[in-house]
Amino acid sequence: MTGGNQYVVAAYAVIWFLVLAYVVMLGARTARVGRQVEAITRMLDREAAESDPPKGDDG
Amino acid sequence: MPSSTTDHASRRVIGARAALIWGVIATVLVTVASVGVFLVAPEDADQGVIQRIFYFHVAIALVSLVAFAVACVAGILFLRTRNLRWDDVSVTAVRIGILFSVLVIITGSIWAKASWGTWWVWADPRLVTYLIVVLIYAAYFVLRSSVDDDRRLRFSATYAIVGFVSVPLSFYSVRVAQSFVHPVVFTSGGANMPNSMLIWFLISLAAMLALFIALLEVELVGRRTERALRALTLRLESS
Repeated sequence: MTGGNQYVVAAYAVIWFLVLAYVVMLGARTARVGRQVEAITRMLDREAAESDPPKGDDG
Repeated sequence: MPSSTTDHASRRVIGARAALIWGVIATVLVTVASVGVFLVAPEDADQGVIQRIFYFHVAIALVSLVAFAVACVAGILFLRTRNLRWDDVSVTAVRIGILFSVLVIITGSIWAKASWGTWWVWADPRLVTYLIVVLIYAAYFVLRSSVDDDRRLRFSATYAIVGFVSVPLSFYSVRVAQSFVHPVVFTSGGANMPNSMLIWFLISLAAMLALFIALLEVELVGRRTERALRALTLRLESS
């Protein structure tokens, strides 16, 4: 690979790597949201299992 | 379920669909642009193969300025409406703008090393003013993390608007200061390149613009979903 080609490959590799890293970061955030959804689902399941009466004015 | 909640949920779904569509468009355009830049575009007679850095470097630079413009407009809309959606757009546009700016600086430095034999030229107004723009927008996040709640939103919006003043300064500095190091490809007289290169530059520009919109849409969907989940968690914990 010539010197010129090396620079071109390096420039485009940086672009694709950083964009990919950013997309991975977005994916990690989506995964975190997914875990939160699971936590809420578990919370709702627990509440349903306890089968308490509807919340009233019990002070 | 109340109709407003249903509408809100529908909007979120539509947002996710838009993100998916823009993701596909960006992927196709980036692939086409990459193939064109490497395999179809003619080699520059003067600079040779290293000129191929130009296509994405300049496209990303222009889109980074577009991102800061979007942040500015969203900041204005937030201050006028106090709608959190505009704060989301503003902060996300700044974040992507900084990502693109970092790419511009790195690819520019590589190109400079190959072309001029040095990584950076401090005497060049285009390079220095662009770096100042990046530092100004990097400070946006320092400000945003240093104040809380309502003030954070107002200060961020104001900063996004005021910070945008630096963008035209950077854009026109090279013309006003008569830079001899950094080339000016696009002048009032048109593009200084043959059409066979211009077409691939325009496709690269469209690809980077689509990538920006796709990343913006994905982040916005994520932020909206996170906020909705936080509100839901608080409601469940307090019930």
